[in-house]
Amino acid sequence: MVNAQQTITGKVQDHDGLDLPGATIVVEGTSTATTSDFDGNFSISADNGDKLLISYVGYKVAEILVDGNSVLATLSLSTELEEVIVTGYGVYDKKRYTGSAVTIDTEPISRKNISNISRGLVGEASGLTVVSNSGQPGTSATIRIRGKAGSVNGNSAPLYVLDGVPYNGNLNAINPNDIETTTILKDAAATAIYGNRGANGVILITTKRGDADKARISVDIKSGTNTDYLPRYSVIESPERWTEIVWESLKNRGIGIGQNGADYAQLRLFSSAGINPKYNMWNANGNALIDPSTGKFNSSVGRKYDPEVWRDYAFNDARRNEVNFSISGGSKTSKYYYSAGALEDVGYGINSDFRRYSTRLNLDFTPYEWLTAKTNFGYSYAASNFNGQSSDSGSIFWTTANMPRIYPLFERDADGNKIKDVYGGFKYDYGEGRGFAGLTNSIGDAYYDTDKDLIHNLNINQQFALSLMEGVTFESLFSINYLMDNTDLVSDPTYGSSRGQGGYVSKTKNQNTNWTLRNALRFERQLSDRFFMMGFIAHESERYESSTMNANKYTLLQPRGPISVELDNAVKNNNSSSSTSAVSREAYVAYFNLKVDEAYNIAIDFRRDSTSIFPNDKWGNFGSVSLGWILSEEDFFNAPNISFFKLRTSYGIIGEALGQGFYPGYDRIDVKNLNDEVATVFISKGNAELTWEAGKQFNLGIDLESNYVNATIDFYSKNRDDMFFTRNVGTSLGYRSILVNDGSLKNWGIEFTVDKDIIKTDDFNLNVRVLGSIEKNELTELPYDPAAGRRKYFQSNGFYGLGKGKSTYEFYMREYAGVNPDNGYAQWFRNYDDKNSNGSLDDGEEIEDLFEYKIENPKANILEDKVEKYVDATKRFTGKTAIPDMYGSITLSASYKAFDMRAIFSYGLGGYAYDSAYADFMDNETASNAQQFHTDIENRWRQAGDVTDVPILNSNLQVNQASTSTRFLIEADYFNFSNIQVGYTLPDSLIQKINASNIRVYFTGDNLMILSKRDGFNPGYSLSGNTGRYTYEPMTTFTAGLTLNF
Amino acid sequence: MKKIFYSLFVLIFSFGCNEDFLEEFPTSYTTPEKLGEALELNPGVGSSGLLGIYESMFAVGTGYENDFPSGRNDYDFGHRGYDVLSDMLSGDMVLGGKNYGWLSDISELTATEDYTNSNNYTMWRYYYYIVLLANSTIDAFGGSDANPETTEAQQGLGQSLGTRAYAYFYLLNLFANDFDNADLVLPIYSNSTSENQPKSSVKDVIDFIISDLTKSKALLTGFSRSAPNIIDEYVASTYLAYAYALKGDYANASSAAKFVIDNSGKSVQSITEIVSGMNDVNRLSGNVLWGTDLTVDNGLDLRSWWGQCDIFTYSYAWAGDPKVADVSLYNQIAEDDVRKTWFRTSGGYTLAPHYKFFHEDRIIGGQRNVTADYIYNRIEELYLLHAEAEAALGNDAAARQSLKAILDHRIPDSSYLDALSGTDLQDEIYLQTRIELWGEGKSYLAMKRLRKTITRGPNWLDYPGESFDYNDEKLTFEIPEIEIRNNPNISDQNPK
Repeated sequence: MVNAQQTITGKVQDHDGLDLPGATIVVEGTSTATTSDFDGNFSISADNGDKLLISYVGYKVAEILVDGNSVLATLSLSTELEEVIVTGYGVYDKKRYTGSAVTIDTEPISRKNISNISRGLVGEASGLTVVSNSGQPGTSATIRIRGKAGSVNGNSAPLYVLDGVPYNGNLNAINPNDIETTTILKDAAATAIYGNRGANGVILITTKRGDADKARISVDIKSGTNTDYLPRYSVIESPERWTEIVWESLKNRGIGIGQNGADYAQLRLFSSAGINPKYNMWNANGNALIDPSTGKFNSSVGRKYDPEVWRDYAFNDARRNEVNFSISGGSKTSKYYYSAGALEDVGYGINSDFRRYSTRLNLDFTPYEWLTAKTNFGYSYAASNFNGQSSDSGSIFWTTANMPRIYPLFERDADGNKIKDVYGGFKYDYGEGRGFAGLTNSIGDAYYDTDKDLIHNLNINQQFALSLMEGVTFESLFSINYLMDNTDLVSDPTYGSSRGQGGYVSKTKNQNTNWTLRNALRFERQLSDRFFMMGFIAHESERYESSTMNANKYTLLQPRGPISVELDNAVKNNNSSSSTSAVSREAYVAYFNLKVDEAYNIAIDFRRDSTSIFPNDKWGNFGSVSLGWILSEEDFFNAPNISFFKLRTSYGIIGEALGQGFYPGYDRIDVKNLNDEVATVFISKGNAELTWEAGKQFNLGIDLESNYVNATIDFYSKNRDDMFFTRNVGTSLGYRSILVNDGSLKNWGIEFTVDKDIIKTDDFNLNVRVLGSIEKNELTELPYDPAAGRRKYFQSNGFYGLGKGKSTYEFYMREYAGVNPDNGYAQWFRNYDDKNSNGSLDDGEEIEDLFEYKIENPKANILEDKVEKYVDATKRFTGKTAIPDMYGSITLSASYKAFDMRAIFSYGLGGYAYDSAYADFMDNETASNAQQFHTDIENRWRQAGDVTDVPILNSNLQVNQASTSTRFLIEADYFNFSNIQVGYTLPDSLIQKINASNIRVYFTGDNLMILSKRDGFNPGYSLSGNTGRYTYEPMTTFTAGLTLNF
Repeated sequence: MKKIFYSLFVLIFSFGCNEDFLEEFPTSYTTPEKLGEALELNPGVGSSGLLGIYESMFAVGTGYENDFPSGRNDYDFGHRGYDVLSDMLSGDMVLGGKNYGWLSDISELTATEDYTNSNNYTMWRYYYYIVLLANSTIDAFGGSDANPETTEAQQGLGQSLGTRAYAYFYLLNLFANDFDNADLVLPIYSNSTSENQPKSSVKDVIDFIISDLTKSKALLTGFSRSAPNIIDEYVASTYLAYAYALKGDYANASSAAKFVIDNSGKSVQSITEIVSGMNDVNRLSGNVLWGTDLTVDNGLDLRSWWGQCDIFTYSYAWAGDPKVADVSLYNQIAEDDVRKTWFRTSGGYTLAPHYKFFHEDRIIGGQRNVTADYIYNRIEELYLLHAEAEAALGNDAAARQSLKAILDHRIPDSSYLDALSGTDLQDEIYLQTRIELWGEGKSYLAMKRLRKTITRGPNWLDYPGESFDYNDEKLTFEIPEIEIRNNPNISDQNPK
């Protein structure tokens, strides 16, 4: 044999025999390299006996010994689809990927009853906080990647990218069934490429595409129930018991002001100084209800009527139905994916629902080997009703929880009979004179009024890729997302707040347009057998515009039905308004990636970014460097049980501009009407010098695959300088605050994913995956205060304090010191500076804010005592933060023969939350304002010597009992059973008869259990963990489904 | 073909963005720069900034209750909202029910001892907001001491100085416990750009007010306003009279009041006008010195003075928290005094101002969109102030004459006044001030200025029969916590 250089021709195909264009072919040990053409063919000079290394992203490298002048290389998938990281700027081999990223396949998402991908991410990635906020069907969850606080006042939300393009549309416009993969990018290496808005992580959503020569039809049908199943706060259910407590509260007030307590209470219980007498539901006068000697309800007194339990009329089980249908397939030159879906998701609250009809068409064309064109077309129609969810007494959630049981849902006449209403039912009690939620009836409103929303969302994405020369491709992308949102409100002319004006109708049209244009030159080249480089340079521009228009009128003809929502149905004009807001962005991007052997990978990216948000200082430069080292490829690596071991590290600086609207640079001046003349009014202060927040991120990660477990562990730090910081000023300036770029914040944490096959046999598999995250944060610098001539030491921030060296989530408030056993009064701790060392507080020794005082007076002689007057207590850091010690999820996956099961539990350990909803139930209100009580109120102080932490009720004689203090902080540990699906795949013998490839039936349950420190308290439901009055409590869903694949 | 594509893409790639691409401006509101452009293109709206100050005096939310953890405060609707608080503190306006609980903390006198309470904050915030708006226009006219050339600019500066003085006058009354000249009480801002200031003394604040009003009155001489909401020389002189009276300078107070009486052309409301509802500044244009003609476009509803105080408006007064007359004050109204008919006990309301304030339709709970007007000052105040100042100066005859000018339209026979002199006369003037101006936000000013002790009548739900001195901590608002925390130059409450 003569070893002569010869031209070898060959063909590269995948495991299904499809040609693979663009595969890289290298002659081992040389710099000779080429790529396969459109049909998978290549030619290369090599000697017999040389080894060709043929590689293609996502496939295992094939080694072929040259023997003769033609070769056929068949590449097999390296493992699963998850092994590829798809970013907007390219597809990367996960094994070599240098960033911290998690890809979630379509399968786990499809196992959940979700209408929206954001909710599907619960429990699927470490470092991800997913909170639902509302049980209203269709609403998006709030997501945070690596910590609650990316910035103090800047944006902390991640960027969503749909098929490579930043997405500002409605997340619920995307049918989760159309999503192929969802990838969470967490560190600078992964996110720097997205520059502006990538600082808080990126969520990449990639929709499904067709496969060549593989036609598929898939039908998925599921049907079930949404129900109100989870526990609520335990409250006083008996009207008599509630009234006894209110009576006792009045009695104690009477005693407290030096009167005969029982007389005082008898006189006032039902009176203009107490509960409105019309709400006396018993057959006796208000002063004859309670036996003054015992404080107990007189057993001889009977009820005139039984007031309705509001909750029974507000919540009902409701249906959830979903059908999804898709066809995909294609040929070498064109591929298609088509889908249609319909979802009906009805909430358990009155007139709350979500309906979506969606369709998607994704096409790929390759008319010439040098040209690829892709188009994605998605449309959805989403209609929602939001009744009963206002943040006031129109909230059916607040009123059903907090309405004392004496107040009936339906109005009663003097004899206690219900009254017919004009609509043929009974008249709701609109609460004239009702102290709690007066002048409204949330349930009546939820039935009579209209609050609906209809959204059309159109998403079109066009891409061209043009191969200019070997290894150089020009790509152009244009994407547009158009959203038309119509909101209609109607208030009833006969009942409720608009009756004085004959009803009210309001129409809002909101139109959002978002376009992106990106042009890029992409290059890749095998420099030698050891070095492979790829990269691109790109220019992109983007503009988002939202215009809104509202008109409304009074005095209607038709109060319900389709006519009612039209302005032509009403006669009196009211104010109308319209406005447009927009943001534009422009950027230059460069990315460079070098692979050295199989073990090393280096990536560098750079972005020059600009945004219209900053009036003067628009441009910023950002970038990152990252490094991956696969130790298991090294010769010295000798651990037979470990098949893969990679170290990754990255460092980058990323800019962030969002979080304060599009115009924080400008003073706001409103245009108002004064006697039909133009009046202009300053509203708030802008800052024209604002510029980019700079986020500095470091990541160190390990990926491990072994015979025992698979694990990914990351340590990260995310520091933010020149933060958006709302610097408070003394309001005597006429405004409250000014937004500045100042202050520094550190966030750091550890997160892990551990995955273990407990059992793995032919018939039975059981896998456990545990995700966990630990995070901390610290404010290292506050802004400069020009009035003080130094940096601020401290600024309060709701329940939290912003203090140098403190977590931004450390609770800062007055500390509850329990109940004085002598008189039952609530007590709080007070600190004072005992300047004269007499051991007691004298004038001028008060300390209002301990943290700041200590800094200003380092030598202070600080003592502590207890006070019964809330405002005299000292506000201080509590040492308790809202950040859990650890949070994450546990996933169990199992299969037994044709059965499969997957269950997700999410958990949080440690940390505290402020239970505002509970505070409402424990308040010491006057009789008329008294709300529902929690059953814990039974632990209240009753007589001298009682040792309890629930103070005396005395009809607000002691004010501020329920004001913000550590009394309502609660340990926020939780364990939630989020989702389970059990499925059964029918045997082949059965399905072949109908030519199906796969048939599966399944049962799904979502939100099945919440374990927390107190029934009704759900810390996993809001970002802070704190509770609120108006929350649409989580919905539990059960469905049964059937999937057919042909 | 490939070449055609090449050229096409090269073309696209070279298509950059021009500089304007990155310029975006808000459209739901304007900015100082854009406002400047608008005024050049549309000179007819040149006084919009001034009008904005007046608009803010009745707009909802100027106290920025949303800055406050507890959120919405239904008394955050400008000047007349704080009038309700002060009328209640002075003891003449009683919170007749606590079904909804708004102002329970004023009735119970706890808000005024709790610097975290939102009523302190919204009030402080509102008046200082007016100071800022005034300072912005003052700066635009060249500053407090400018001498603008055009008449228009002089009048603009005059109005701006007047509004600033108005705001400081109320701040001083509401936040200073007492008026010892040296007490440090309020930060003074004389322009719109300074940083947070420390407190200035009572004397400095009063002098600042008087200086502004003196300039304002001079600059507005001869100015004929286009609407009753605009400050003219008579409004400036009204507040000058109040400020001098507060300072104890009765000679100047008297002459400032006399100036308005003699020159404004306004006359005392007749015996029929006084029961006509006090709801229309146009109908009462011969009487009203300063007020606002409210229209549907102003968007006021239940969160308004009418909502809070008028049972003929859909709101709290009607629905369960009526504001009614103190029964002791009511009993001091003569039986034959037409003003006795203001207060009625009917329809479940006891001594509600049925015939003093009402929406013209007189449907219980009826007015939904507020179109009944706000009256800030009327000529009677000047007669009463003049009487008060003259009585203080010992000129009882002149005092009696001014008081009679009102009472002759209220009672059949005012001759009983001829028998009064000295402190008796002064007490009568104070009583008539409280009666005549009930519910108009003036009795608190009188209590403070005359250093009175008030006693709550038996129909109070809280503290019935108890007395409080004008300088009791319970009767004066606190500097809000948010100011103390964020203004590094203020660290304490005002001296007692």
